Amino acid sequence: MNAERLTSQQVNAFVDGELDLKQQLEIESFVLQDDLLRSQVEALRAVSEAVRAKADYHQVPGALRERLGSQGLAASRHDSLPGRTLALARWWRMRPLMTGLTFAALLAWATTATLLRPSHDDLVMQEAVASHVRATLANRLIDVASSDRHTVKPWLSSRLDFAPPVKDVGPAGATLLGGRVDYVDGHPVAALVYRQRQHVINLFVWPTTEHDKVVGVSALRGFNVAHEVRSGMAYWAVSDINREELMALLAGQASGGDR
Amino acid sequence: MNDDETRQRFEGLALQHLDAAYNLARWLTRNEHDAQDVVQEAWLRAMRYFSGFRGEQFRPWWLTIVRHTCYGWLKTNRPFDLVAPGDEDGSATESAAPASDEPHEIAVRNADRAQINNAIAALPIDYREVLVLRELEDLSYKDIARIADVPIGTVMSRLSRARSLLRQALQPGARPALRAVPMPPQRGAKR
Repeated sequence: MNAERLTSQQVNAFVDGELDLKQQLEIESFVLQDDLLRSQVEALRAVSEAVRAKADYHQVPGALRERLGSQGLAASRHDSLPGRTLALARWWRMRPLMTGLTFAALLAWATTATLLRPSHDDLVMQEAVASHVRATLANRLIDVASSDRHTVKPWLSSRLDFAPPVKDVGPAGATLLGGRVDYVDGHPVAALVYRQRQHVINLFVWPTTEHDKVVGVSALRGFNVAHEVRSGMAYWAVSDINREELMALLAGQASGGDR
Repeated sequence: MNDDETRQRFEGLALQHLDAAYNLARWLTRNEHDAQDVVQEAWLRAMRYFSGFRGEQFRPWWLTIVRHTCYGWLKTNRPFDLVAPGDEDGSATESAAPASDEPHEIAVRNADRAQINNAIAALPIDYREVLVLRELEDLSYKDIARIADVPIGTVMSRLSRARSLLRQALQPGARPALRAVPMPPQRGAKR
């Protein structure tokens, strides 16, 4: 190595003590002999020392330090064992109150649920009425239009997993307009459509496991809904005709075989 | 090690080296508020990547993230600050170290804090960064190379150039020399 050939970087590295030991020692000996090199080294040291001594070392503002640190502090407090033990102890002391409250809440919920829950029949009735209204509104009453039960019944049974009893004429003079497949109470059902005078009657039929039930009529939003279970079939008739006629229709429908 | 332990370990280390992070960000952005934003962002980033930290030295690792965040921030908000003066052209950097002479020596030694601070703040960012990491953080060339993402040779030439520019800037009537370096108007350098 030659003192004159030293680059600025090498002199800097020497000042910074970043050369390997051999080079470091070598340049050190040059510095002693070479005035120019010595003055270079001194100039660099002066700059370095001035910066180290006088340049600002910016310390992070306390607020930021706290903000960043507090996340950690909060987390560690949460996770620390004493904290956890304390929470456990507090919970233990509250136990009777907690138990009482829990039971009260449970009881209230159960009562409400039991008393206010609409019965299954109520739900089906709503669905049946909704289906009746939808079909009437959308003029989508009939998929198979025929007054012949021998046309309607096979059509329906080919699209369902049961064969609904179909009658041409109700006892009160209702005439069969046709049928369609609808969806009530979570399964596809047969919907038979009758007309009595100017009233449309939707009769929903599907198989059920319920025990036989005599006809009952209730009203929902002005529609009369008659319901009966007979021989494993549930019948729901929805119309705006009067109760007696609807009951008569349903009674005639459900009784006996296909006639 | 679970997540909470990892996070606590990160926070312990990062808080310990928070001043270093802020100092670097403050010198690179030359503005307090920007530096705070950068440090906060770097904190979140570092926390995310801490699982990949494998027991190396924490400070260089952490400052690498801070430095990277700084550059990202500057690129978005003040791209002009990142205009490099082209230090790798070799001609300037390969010149011999400046020889000392009495008046220069005295000027450097007598410079007050404001002069030193202003002179450092006026350095192009590449030089400023290396100088701050070396003189204020006392990091090795190797660590600086890693943080600044350049070869050690570049660290050496930048540092050499930074000191020589600084020396010139501290001379009486050095203003013209300072202006010869393409620089954006100074912001935040004077407080």
